[in-house]
Amino acid sequence: MSVLTFERKQGAELWSEAELHILLPALNAALASEDGREWETGMTERGDAQFYLLGPLPDQACELCVSRICGRYILEDGSGRLLFEHQSLAVIALHAKAAVRSTRWSLVARAVLLWCMIRHTIHEKVEPLLIESEEILVHLAPQLAAFA
Amino acid sequence: MKRAKHQEGSGGKLQRTVVPEARQLRKEAGDWLKQRRAEAGLSQVALAERLGMKYYTFISQVENGFSRVPTEAMEAWAIQLGLEPSEFAKHLLLYYEPELYRLLFGKRK
Repeated sequence: MSVLTFERKQGAELWSEAELHILLPALNAALASEDGREWETGMTERGDAQFYLLGPLPDQACELCVSRICGRYILEDGSGRLLFEHQSLAVIALHAKAAVRSTRWSLVARAVLLWCMIRHTIHEKVEPLLIESEEILVHLAPQLAAFA
Repeated sequence: MKRAKHQEGSGGKLQRTVVPEARQLRKEAGDWLKQRRAEAGLSQVALAERLGMKYYTFISQVENGFSRVPTEAMEAWAIQLGLEPSEFAKHLLLYYEPELYRLLFGKRK
């Protein structure tokens, strides 16, 4: 089994090496993209550890946040929506991985929807105009040919 | 796996790379919110309870500058912090959407 290596960040001492080795590989696909995604760690007022997965540049807003409170892990999105909570970080990591994937799929779904709307608009608005001009051309063509 | 952008400096200290402006402004907003919460005499836990949240972790997320106060929650935050909602939203807009703030209200004095 290969062990993935990573540099520990400033403040990352709040998370154990073992915890980071569970979280980071799960988010590897998101972090490996060259769009400025990063991870950061922080702490609540009460000293509870937080792990943030940041979105792409330039905004780098939090996409997912894992917090550890009294041995329990809390997974939230960047709007504070509670996604999952469990005592096992491995289970949380699986949910985080799925949440990142679903975020990407929702972007793909939006692109497909946009494409369908464009196609529909072309079909509804542009095609009748083309048919109309084609009909005019069919009517005018013999007359134009007669003049020629 | 992507390597962290913090690197060991010559003196052994960790050095930060340049933080994007949006992130920096969110952090300033977070600091401002933290001050307002302190003035209201609330802990993160107390504020979260008043906002009907199960956990207080999102308050920390916002105050640490990683997330924004959601627009739909601004009024509730303002009320719990004892602030006028419109002024609260206007002030946060200064950090979250500085260009929009400039267009609407001109440059900050």
